[in-house]
Amino acid sequence: MKEHPIIELKNITKNFGDQQVLRGIDLNIYENEFLTLLGPSGCGKTTILRIIGGFEEASDGQVLFNGDDIAKLPPYKREVNTVFQKYALFPFLNVYENVAFGLHLKNVDEDVIINKVDKMLTMVGLKGYEKRDVTSLSGGQQQRVAIARALINEPKVLLLDEPLGALDAKLRKDMQIELKKIQKEVGITFVFVTHDQEEALTMSDTIVVMNDGIVQQIGSPIDIYNEPQNRFVAEFIGESNIIEGTMIRDCLVKFDGIEWECVDKGFRENEEIEVVLRPEDMDVIPATDAKLCGKIVSKVFMGVHYEYMVETANRQYKVHTTENYELGTEIGLTIDPYDIQVMHIG
Amino acid sequence: MRLKKISLGPKLYIAVCFLFFYLPIAVTMFFSFNSSKSLTHFTGFSLHWYEKLLTDQNILAAVYVSISIAIFATIISTILGTITAIGLSKSRKVLKEWILNVNNIPIMNPDIVTAISLMILFTSARLERGYITMLLAHIAFCTPFVITSVYPKVRSMDHNLADVAMDLGATPFQALTKVIVPLLRPGIFAGMLLAFTMSLDDFVVSYFVTGNGVANISIIVYNMTKRINPTINALSTLLILAVVIVLVGVNLWPAIKAKRRGNPKYQAVTKRKSKKLVPILAGICIIAVGITCVTQFSAISSKQVLRVFNSGEYIDMDLIAQFEDEYDCQVVYETFDSNESMYTKLQSGATYDILVPSDYMIERLIEEDYLKKIDWKQITHKDDIIPSLMENNEFDPKNEYTVPYYWGTVGILYDTNVVDEEDLAQGWEILRNPKYKGDLYMYDSERDSFMIALKTLGYSMNTTNKKELLEAYDWLIQQRETMDPVYVGDDVMDNMISGNKALAVVYSGDGTYVIDENEDMSFFVPEQGSNVWTDGMVVTKDCNNMELACQFMDFFLDKEVAIQNTEYIGYDSAVQSVYDYYREGDYAGNPGCGPDTSNPLNEVFRNQPQKIKAFTANLWTKIKSHK
Repeated sequence: MKEHPIIELKNITKNFGDQQVLRGIDLNIYENEFLTLLGPSGCGKTTILRIIGGFEEASDGQVLFNGDDIAKLPPYKREVNTVFQKYALFPFLNVYENVAFGLHLKNVDEDVIINKVDKMLTMVGLKGYEKRDVTSLSGGQQQRVAIARALINEPKVLLLDEPLGALDAKLRKDMQIELKKIQKEVGITFVFVTHDQEEALTMSDTIVVMNDGIVQQIGSPIDIYNEPQNRFVAEFIGESNIIEGTMIRDCLVKFDGIEWECVDKGFRENEEIEVVLRPEDMDVIPATDAKLCGKIVSKVFMGVHYEYMVETANRQYKVHTTENYELGTEIGLTIDPYDIQVMHIG
Repeated sequence: MRLKKISLGPKLYIAVCFLFFYLPIAVTMFFSFNSSKSLTHFTGFSLHWYEKLLTDQNILAAVYVSISIAIFATIISTILGTITAIGLSKSRKVLKEWILNVNNIPIMNPDIVTAISLMILFTSARLERGYITMLLAHIAFCTPFVITSVYPKVRSMDHNLADVAMDLGATPFQALTKVIVPLLRPGIFAGMLLAFTMSLDDFVVSYFVTGNGVANISIIVYNMTKRINPTINALSTLLILAVVIVLVGVNLWPAIKAKRRGNPKYQAVTKRKSKKLVPILAGICIIAVGITCVTQFSAISSKQVLRVFNSGEYIDMDLIAQFEDEYDCQVVYETFDSNESMYTKLQSGATYDILVPSDYMIERLIEEDYLKKIDWKQITHKDDIIPSLMENNEFDPKNEYTVPYYWGTVGILYDTNVVDEEDLAQGWEILRNPKYKGDLYMYDSERDSFMIALKTLGYSMNTTNKKELLEAYDWLIQQRETMDPVYVGDDVMDNMISGNKALAVVYSGDGTYVIDENEDMSFFVPEQGSNVWTDGMVVTKDCNNMELACQFMDFFLDKEVAIQNTEYIGYDSAVQSVYDYYREGDYAGNPGCGPDTSNPLNEVFRNQPQKIKAFTANLWTKIKSHK
């Protein structure tokens, strides 16, 4: 799957006035991949999308499409299509006319158009809505129209700019699954922009975590979650306890005055590091058997599990478990070696 | 019961409103079918005025000018305004606010200021005034309205949509035509409608910037109102009808469209058609503009041209056509509504060959060196002119500049059933006879009113003595207080035909006309003396073709021509044989026709010093506003 990059960004920078929003982005996007640009608002992820779409020009660097530089190509000549934030449907056209817009521009035979629109609307589950006014549709339906309108042009890459942002939680979940399904069906590359880490983890083949105009980490959802490379990634994706410590030697780390076995290697001896501990990886054991002990100071029921704050000698730990403990209980905590993620400080 | 009472009020209110809005229109439409000229008496159904309308080349030309200018001005100003509005939304805030404020100035500006500014601009740019200048002016005053109505739509538009269109493969131009324009359509449509109506009913600006005989409906109608002409009613009725059809169409269009939108297949077919239709329509428009321009210029260049500036409704247009045929030339004919507005146009740099002003204005034009001496050798009918009109002309003492056209005097029209013959001996003083209180019309004219008072007091009507003028002022004030006179314009004729009041101050020609329509009426010129006026044809310094000018003036002195012209105008011809023809023929015994003007107390209006003009104008304002 990863042999052939369809889009390559090489050292892209972008300035808006004095403000630098992209600081040297290098990124390869491969065929048939579902790639997500994830980061807080203002991190530059939408700007990358607009540069690929042709709506912004990079201040410096190269954009290659199948090996050709497309920096000077206007949007209407690029083999990519975009699904915009807030749908951006044409209010003066009905569902059929919205979807058919791109084909009408190309002067495709109307019989062919009718056929294709029919196929697209079937795919997004809106068959029979052809004559409806787009303003009369629900948010989810409008989003499906926007997707169909972009896909009907058979682009090599579909860009999606926070397309689910305006939907409610339940609809979001459904659409996430549906989008993934559509991507598999049409078999093209999706570049998806979001600030919602859960959405990114659910759908993506590859996640690109960004902050402040810089790529923080690129990897599969599992890699990103389990092995965050820095504090930003760890904090942004999922919940975590981040603790400063020292790498004694390979596979032995020391924090809170206690030495722990781990699986990380390749650090200098006695290097100052940070350790990421996911709350659900913290196992509760009887206090008498534990290297690390503490008292439960807060308890919140989260549905499937409880979230406890455990006060230890040095700090509070966030712990997720399905077991029920009373407030004030003294408990012990332990962590399996493979659940300890050691990061460089940076 | 109570409920019913409450609901009646609003209904009544609506009814009264509608009555107020539509009654005038209804009356106009009703009288367009009148068989006679009257605007107050319905004498029978007829399509006479419609027939006249459709055969009147002048009006048809004006309709063409009005509509074509409105269409072109609308199209061009809509395009300009829309592009400006879109551009503005993308420009810096300071610039945007500044331009929007500047844009409001022409909208708030009084029309007359816009009109005069444009006139001066065109004059100084040496643009020949006519169709093109009128079109430019209309574009100029329509565009701000389009910007104002399109801009809010641009601001509220989702700017992403243009990006979306380009993303889907639209070029920037396609994004404009297929997305931005449809999005702005309500605003553009409102702007277009505004521009079209503004252009179609503009009078002031058009009046000042036009020239070379190009006139729109407003100008023609305005000049036509000088005399009663029910053709206006027919024209108005047709215009109202057109507006109603357009409005109904606009309101029904969305419904028709919605129906057609149903079937995508059908829509595909119509789309193909409309795609071809747009360039075809655009092509037709361009060709039409082209033809208009070409015909205008070629007509001007190929034949010799005579530019005539005359009072409205003061010539039979058929005769002009006849003259053009006979002498193989083109007459560019324009009309004015008063001597003063004619003078203003001359001052602004408009050029003509022949003018037809009144006596005192001729004197002024001579004094200010606007006129050329006439080559009398070329006027073959010189000896046919009534000799008295060629003697003792104080405004043109040596008869070097004026070929008399029509003439007449001012007198009193009275209802023989109401007014005692004996009272006529009082002369002008009858206008202050308490017996006829509330039963008389005065003519709404400063100089004629002062003439009456001055003559009654035994002074010259051309006096420059302020004491005498003040006495005349007192006379008129006292008349206002005791007699309750109604000051009227040309509607006096219609009112007198209907016998609405017993006495009226009228021109002799108008008297002739009224007596012809209502046998109970009679006319006399008081012994104290009156204004004997002459309108003459004069040649301006701008005239380069004295031969043609003389041929034109001579043509209208021809007996046959003058008879036909007099038939149309209804005043006394300056041609002796024609004057006699009417006096002895159709109007024999009609005292308004060729009244006795031998009274030595009669005078001709003279051009007065500016100071005296201002003094009397001031007094006149006071009289008019006196309660």
